[in-house]
Amino acid sequence: MNRARIAALPSLVVLLSLVLAPPATSQTPKHGGTLNLMLREELSPGFAIHETGTISTVWPAMPCFNNLVLFDPLKKTESVDTIIGELAEKWSWQDNFRNLVFFLRKGVKWHDGQAFTSRDVKFTFDMLREAADAPAKLRINPRKDWYANIEAVEAADPHTVVFRLRKPQPSLLLMLASGYAPVYAAHVPPASYRTGCVGTGPFKLKEWRKGEYVEFVRNPDYFVKGRPYLDGLKYLIIAERGTRQAALQAGKLDVAFPGETTKTAAEQLKKAVPQLVITPVSQNVNDNIIMNVKKPPFDNPKVRLAVSHAIDRRALVQAVHQGGALVGASLAPKPWGFWGLGERDLPGLPGYAAKPADEKAKAMKLMAEAGYTPDKPLKVEMVTRAIAIYVDMASFVINELKLVGIEASLKQIETAQWHPMATRGDYQIGANLTGIGPDDPDANFYENYGCGSPRNYSQYCSEQVGKMIDQQSQELDPKKRVELVYAIQKKLEADAARPILDWKIDHFTVWPHVKNLIPHQSIYNFGRMQEVWSDK
Amino acid sequence: MKTYVLQRLVIAVLTLLGMSLVIFTLLRLAPGDIVDILFSTAGYVSPSEKQAIMKELGIDRPYWVQYLDWLRQIATGDLGKSYRYDLPAWQIIRPLLPVTLELAALSMVFAVALGVPTGVISAVRQDTGLDYVLRIFSLAGLSMPAFWLGMVIILTLVTWLQWIPPLTYVSPAQDLKLHAVQFLLPALAVGYRSSALIMRITRSALLEVLREDYIRTAWAKGQGGRVVIWRHALKNAMLPVITVIGIEFAFLIGGLVVTERVFNLPGVARFLVDAILWRDYPIVQNLVMFIAIVVILANLLVDMLYGVLDPRVRYGS
Repeated sequence: MNRARIAALPSLVVLLSLVLAPPATSQTPKHGGTLNLMLREELSPGFAIHETGTISTVWPAMPCFNNLVLFDPLKKTESVDTIIGELAEKWSWQDNFRNLVFFLRKGVKWHDGQAFTSRDVKFTFDMLREAADAPAKLRINPRKDWYANIEAVEAADPHTVVFRLRKPQPSLLLMLASGYAPVYAAHVPPASYRTGCVGTGPFKLKEWRKGEYVEFVRNPDYFVKGRPYLDGLKYLIIAERGTRQAALQAGKLDVAFPGETTKTAAEQLKKAVPQLVITPVSQNVNDNIIMNVKKPPFDNPKVRLAVSHAIDRRALVQAVHQGGALVGASLAPKPWGFWGLGERDLPGLPGYAAKPADEKAKAMKLMAEAGYTPDKPLKVEMVTRAIAIYVDMASFVINELKLVGIEASLKQIETAQWHPMATRGDYQIGANLTGIGPDDPDANFYENYGCGSPRNYSQYCSEQVGKMIDQQSQELDPKKRVELVYAIQKKLEADAARPILDWKIDHFTVWPHVKNLIPHQSIYNFGRMQEVWSDK
Repeated sequence: MKTYVLQRLVIAVLTLLGMSLVIFTLLRLAPGDIVDILFSTAGYVSPSEKQAIMKELGIDRPYWVQYLDWLRQIATGDLGKSYRYDLPAWQIIRPLLPVTLELAALSMVFAVALGVPTGVISAVRQDTGLDYVLRIFSLAGLSMPAFWLGMVIILTLVTWLQWIPPLTYVSPAQDLKLHAVQFLLPALAVGYRSSALIMRITRSALLEVLREDYIRTAWAKGQGGRVVIWRHALKNAMLPVITVIGIEFAFLIGGLVVTERVFNLPGVARFLVDAILWRDYPIVQNLVMFIAIVVILANLLVDMLYGVLDPRVRYGS
């Protein structure tokens, strides 16, 4: 080694230490400070996470609560390996995944000072699964299906709870780790969460000024010593998109709303304020086509398949999302998701031929076999929700369908009517968006493809697929389960059960002083704020 | 005058009663209800659960029972309970009223302060360069929607100063200066449009009056320009201007939707749109009634001012 090289060594070491240095999260966290976070609409219904299915409630309500277990807020990818204990200190699967035992933390207090015990856990999950002897009932119970496999919840002692399952279901733990699975207090009526919040979480509700903001303060009695770092959180409700963006740009907001920032908006923000930290991340929300399989013409599988072949997904990603989305099947694709089919698995599925013209030709052939020709086109009414992100996608799809002889007229449905109409099956074909809580096959398949599920809007029902879904749910070998999940996704696309068009990507934006707020592959699970600190 | 006021008050009460029926009916004609919206946030609808919630909220009862119940509530000062918030409607509505009333009043003050003098100058200097400039200025005000102007103001402030007005309501007691800033910018955006309208009406009304014989007589008597314009001409030209001001103020109470959204002010109009989307009947019904009351009071006030400004107007005598 010559002298020059030896002399260069210290600089090389410095350079290497910079390059290999852990990310900013390894800085020593500081206590104090308040963050202003963006909300785009009012919390409805208040903090009652169990009565809603919208991120607008989960995001601002999560800091008030704890789950039994949670996806590690410091790890961006959610899987069974990233689950950590919250109210449960540890847990154990027993009897070949038939019994799930939680050992609860001691000394945990609700925000009103009462002690947390196994009674609260039993109360919450008996209410959610609508047990015959449940002491309370929710007004609306959107995720009842998640807990359908629980036969009993037993409070063995004040600090031990056993979930007894009808059949093995390793995925239950993932659903319990979602932001949608907080533990409610047994001594508080569930309805009271619509107006206030008694949780065990790192932050206590200070004030909810309707239509303006929700403010939390640090919970001094929080069971994790030294947490949370922040003194408070303020979620500002800003209805106007332009104002939200201006407020973020001006530094009045420290954190954007998850799922809010499109690729174009992110580029504008970065140009205006280069120091903003923008992280592309999956929303776990997909664009899809629902077709009523119980009504003509979509009771004909050939017509459904023709629709799926006709839509050029990659062109849609560019035209509608300016590249801010990924193609995939019914679970979020890699690298954002864990279970989804990747690019190499998609060719061969409807809509993914190398040449879009080939797909169109297949679609026209199928239409001809179904009795429709350019002289005798199929005329249908396409419904969509009267919101820009729905309408943009629907307009693109209508244009694609026209190219294969399907003339669709667009009917916009107001929000108040959208879900009643979809649940009733009062439509022919629709352009839809579906958000999924945890990135897990059980949470998705049973809800959106299960026979008789109220959110299975297409009313697709296949005995074969049903069996496969059960089989993967009970599969204990992770590798085999992945294979089964891949097979189900391919089958669903081949059946055009609910053709998936793309998976949207959020460009989650924060100011650089916001530390440890790491977006996950699902927007519903990283809002606890326990580890977040401010370097201001 | 007393008889006239009494007559107008009786008519006002009857109008409000008619309004209540119209509001109630139109709201029920809109498709969907609060229960559909509640399920919408959950992503599905369960018919049996829907029925239970409708019963809980009392919207399963016959319409006429619901209507009479609402009238009874108004008469007793109990405005019912918000479906969306599960709280007394008055508790939700009360903080909204001062915000909108203040914004509308400030906008009108700005509009009158700008619109009337420019209208007078424009009329007096008819067909001069100044008249053309002022007319273009007013035409621009009429052409630019207030929400667009509001957004331009916000974006300009952010881009140039990295500053934006407060995003939550700041009461005068909290910080008077910040409160003033918070209301001044939207008032300017809204008031500019109204001032343009007032300016044009003032100008045309004044031009008409200035051609009257008595104005020529005043000039012939050698009276000063200021006296002729401000005392003789403007006073008589003000009747249509007052009418426009009354209509504009009433319009602003319910018409500030987009401005309140852009400046993130928690006022009546923004909340009303939200409540309509949620089919929150108790909030919508009572807010629209509030707007109706303001419109009727504004009209009443305008009629009273006619009598004050024009001695030829003698009501009830």
